[in-house]
Amino acid sequence: MVKRIRIVTQGLFLLLFLWLFLQTEAKGANELGYPVKIFLDADPLIFITTILAGRDWYKTLYLAIIVILATVFLGRVFCGWICPLGTLNNMVSALKRQRRKTAAINWYRFKYYILIFLLTSSLFSLQLIGIVDPISLLIRSFSLAVYPLTSYATTVIFDAGYNTNIPFLVNISEFFYSLFKKIFLPFQQPFYLQSAFVGILFFLILGLNLLERRFWCKYLCPLGALLGIFSRYAFLKRSVSEDCNECGACASVCQGNAAPDLKENWRNSECLVCMNCDDLCPQNAVHFGFPKNQPVAGMDLGKRRVIGSILSGLIAVPLLRITPIVKAGVPDPKLIRPPGALEEKQFLRRCIKCGECMKVCITNGLQPTFLEAGIEGIWSPILVPRIGYCEYRCTLCGQVCPTGAIKRLELPEKTKVKLGLAMIDKGRCLPHAHATPCIVCEEVCPTPKKAIWFEQVKVRNREGKELILKQPRVDLEICIGCGICEAKCPVLGQPAIYVTSVGESRSRDNQLLLP
Amino acid sequence: MDRRDFLKTAIVSGVTFAIPGIADTFLGALEAAEKTDLVVAHGISPAGITRAAVDGLGGIKRFISKGDIVVVKPNIGWDRTPEYAATTNPEVVSTVVRLCYEAGAKQVKVFDRSVVDPRRCYKQSGIADAASAVGGIVSYVDDRKFRDMKLPGFALKSWPLYTEIVEADKVINMPIAKVHSLSTLTLGMKNWMGMMGGSRGRIHQKIEGSLVDIAMVIKPTLIILDAVRILTANGPQGGDLVDVKQFNMVIAGTDQVAVDAFGATLFGLKGANIGFVVAGHKAGLGMMDLSKLKIKKINV
Repeated sequence: MVKRIRIVTQGLFLLLFLWLFLQTEAKGANELGYPVKIFLDADPLIFITTILAGRDWYKTLYLAIIVILATVFLGRVFCGWICPLGTLNNMVSALKRQRRKTAAINWYRFKYYILIFLLTSSLFSLQLIGIVDPISLLIRSFSLAVYPLTSYATTVIFDAGYNTNIPFLVNISEFFYSLFKKIFLPFQQPFYLQSAFVGILFFLILGLNLLERRFWCKYLCPLGALLGIFSRYAFLKRSVSEDCNECGACASVCQGNAAPDLKENWRNSECLVCMNCDDLCPQNAVHFGFPKNQPVAGMDLGKRRVIGSILSGLIAVPLLRITPIVKAGVPDPKLIRPPGALEEKQFLRRCIKCGECMKVCITNGLQPTFLEAGIEGIWSPILVPRIGYCEYRCTLCGQVCPTGAIKRLELPEKTKVKLGLAMIDKGRCLPHAHATPCIVCEEVCPTPKKAIWFEQVKVRNREGKELILKQPRVDLEICIGCGICEAKCPVLGQPAIYVTSVGESRSRDNQLLLP
Repeated sequence: MDRRDFLKTAIVSGVTFAIPGIADTFLGALEAAEKTDLVVAHGISPAGITRAAVDGLGGIKRFISKGDIVVVKPNIGWDRTPEYAATTNPEVVSTVVRLCYEAGAKQVKVFDRSVVDPRRCYKQSGIADAASAVGGIVSYVDDRKFRDMKLPGFALKSWPLYTEIVEADKVINMPIAKVHSLSTLTLGMKNWMGMMGGSRGRIHQKIEGSLVDIAMVIKPTLIILDAVRILTANGPQGGDLVDVKQFNMVIAGTDQVAVDAFGATLFGLKGANIGFVVAGHKAGLGMMDLSKLKIKKINV
């Protein structure tokens, strides 16, 4: 009975997660209209590490406090009943054949070492949590890999239907295509750098369930570890009556690594409150309730290993920071951050690489970095104008950022933020190099007074014929580096006008012009 | 509205150049109306002047028949609100959609291939909401629906064009009058860029011939040039209200070159100053000499 209620609850939360994920898409209005990031807001691990690394109390994460309180009272209900990655792990686990007696490999301590490592480094301002935080990982994997591949596969099938040119087939195919477009397909096919990398990692995590059910939740998840600590003295407790005949049935159905067959010596911080042991006990000896004075088994992580984890977290901070990117004068020219992004050091302390901004980016221009921002900044967002520019009147990335790494900007403020500056490659530009008219960069330049202006020049072509041409120039004072000129430049491949990060508003050092 | 109603409006609205006077017989007025090349309607209400301009040409039923599938092609190219005059006035668009349905059209489709993000353009321009409120079928351009088509070859021998326009029974072009750095102005003929697929930025290399090529194949039933507001600088996208001029005018005609030649006068220019107008005239697409045209001006 409890199992059914739990499965329905898990399903509802997974659906809510997916629905909010689908709503993380522009519809043309200035606001999204839905609280699309509440799962991130409710994540205590993001909450705590953002405070530690960002040295700031970021206000939208108060839902996380509710989750912490719930854990203190009821145990890891978030893991067992709510977490959408946990639910997906459950679903994949169903593919693994259940044997009567499966011995767990008891690596539950491992996730605590990961947690200690991450908390230590975040205390010293290195924010790596987003790489392994389950909610961040899930949104990133969905945004960059699962959703694009779903869309691609679906569209390929319906395109084939459309191109059969058999009216009957086309009608059926188009009916379902437009239905799917309404329900779940994106407005346009998204493309991301590193989709395969992010996707393979995600599918590996799901695949681990075939090794052992909920492998990730039991042994790797740092959020699970954090909630495990909060749940140690939970008021909701399990008791085993004397009817227990030690048949061991509970051990094989435990979703955590809680060793429920050890009775009072079980590991309550590993319990996901799935209540399978209560449901399935043949003797009906297991009960969950609120007893007084129930002994709590100790959690022994091993002093040496804890110290090792702390030291690793400490060493990681300088190790990942000895890259020239942070040195004044050598910022990566391609490191064009979204509008409203904090100064680079502050930005990296906040960004959790969840991919929300990339998912919502209206032009698909926000892409995950690989090493442009160092290992520390892997999968953080950069604008790649050749893939998509920054839409002049769009402020969505700042609206969905869960940690304030990208500030939420109002429209008048946003249109003044410089992401970088555009410069012209005179060797490739048609009017500059090839005596051919072209004005596309100027036409699309969105600033009220255009940042691209023309110098009218007389040139001669090969035949000696005199032509009057308009050659584009960039007004660096006005240019905001949105990259639409680069995106729309008809010189394909390597464009004749391109944006680099120099001149970005957020940086004091990465400047070109005198203030 | 039938022809009789039209006559009534024409007379009530009074100030006309094409119709010599009220003393004329009904028959005379009817003849004059049929010969009218351009109607220029001026007034406060965008809907009112749009209706008057169409009526001035002989009423919507002259153009749209019962059961027609009509495409209305406004400029929805930019993410700007209507007061910035970068996109066609939504009220002018919705009035035309309504008129088409009044004439018995089966479907009135409204779309454009935007330059920047279409979702923002459709929404922020006000066109999507205004057109769908009166039953217009507003859709985003579907990349699969472009087909390579043969063109006259002034500049382009072929180009992928949007099949929904080619296959429609009637097409109404609904540009807005704006300045443009290369073609000087963007008016009706330039508005056809919105049905070109592929990397259309390249046509700027031979803009005049390219625009004539497209205009020759599309052959709109009617052109309604929105000059409720016009954009006089930093076109075609604008962004500064200082560059917008309130004109309270709508121009209707059936000759693509004539409409654009008249449009040039709004900016103090002549058709002869605009490369693609001259090219269109030479190609036999239409008449750019305004003195040879019968232009009816209406104040509403």
